[in-house]
Amino acid sequence: MTDLYIFKTQVGMFDPLALYNQNVAIHYVQNAYYRKVDFLEGMPPFQCINLGALAALTPGPRTAVPNLDMPDNEFGLFRWYPIDDAQIRLYHPAGIAKFQLRNLQVPVDMNVVVRDPNLVSTEIAVWENNRPAMEAINGHAFGLGAVRIIAIGYRFHTVSLESGANADPDLVKAMKSGKEPCTHVFCSGRGIGD
Amino acid sequence: MLLDTKEGIIVTSPVVNMNLATAANAFLIFTIPILVNQLIGTKSAKIRKVHLFNNVAGNTNVVIGNGVGIGVFVALLPALATMNNLEDIYGEHGDLPEVESFANITAYPAALLVGGSVDIQLELAIIG
Repeated sequence: MTDLYIFKTQVGMFDPLALYNQNVAIHYVQNAYYRKVDFLEGMPPFQCINLGALAALTPGPRTAVPNLDMPDNEFGLFRWYPIDDAQIRLYHPAGIAKFQLRNLQVPVDMNVVVRDPNLVSTEIAVWENNRPAMEAINGHAFGLGAVRIIAIGYRFHTVSLESGANADPDLVKAMKSGKEPCTHVFCSGRGIGD
Repeated sequence: MLLDTKEGIIVTSPVVNMNLATAANAFLIFTIPILVNQLIGTKSAKIRKVHLFNNVAGNTNVVIGNGVGIGVFVALLPALATMNNLEDIYGEHGDLPEVESFANITAYPAALLVGGSVDIQLELAIIG
């Protein structure tokens, strides 16, 4: 079970954080859902959003990214990078800043593919339709024709261990106490002080 | 330059014979890929090479940009010189700024001798 962890680094495409029949604890804001993976597949790199043209020296509006929504009972694991020269601020969900320090929300720009080629620092997970949102910042003295984001990752279908046909209260109890392994998947940011 | 890390698929435009001058007669040189509800993502094109062949058109310039019509056409690059009855090749890393176009690319010769024309072909990197 040593392969059960998030933020994996390696050369090339990253590994999934859980395989078939492995346990996950999905954290969304202050909630946690104990579930088991029963299907997964890769998501090749794709353009998940075009934040649109952006005038010179202008921040764009906060824009939801519905193309990263997942179906019910599923979560997605994504790493991402922009292919146009803007700085991107990520919010997940739309009201909570990601990559948040005490005094600074760290943006992602095209340099990330050079400074973090594995994109590990951009990794996010999306639980069902709890989508992230992005803001683009154009610091140039000229307009940008588009601000496009490429995402890559995995899709996981899960079943609940807390209720329904696959409910297993003993297993959930063991997962919570650490006696059974599970991967903790953080599907949102966290507000300062929460 | 960092923009070189923009992944691009190399394609070429068709060879277009430009036998009329001025922006009012700008020719469509390259169409940005678009297929509504099928093609995923917004595509753009970065011009890598420009190949011109002057068919007894006289010494003139070719302007590459977007749009058709005087007051509508907007240049992407400064005018490129073409010599009478000779070929001219401009390349991204030697001669051309790394301009990126999000709209169909058009071009026109500034002037032509009677009966003359300029053939043009682009090599582009499709991004997105």
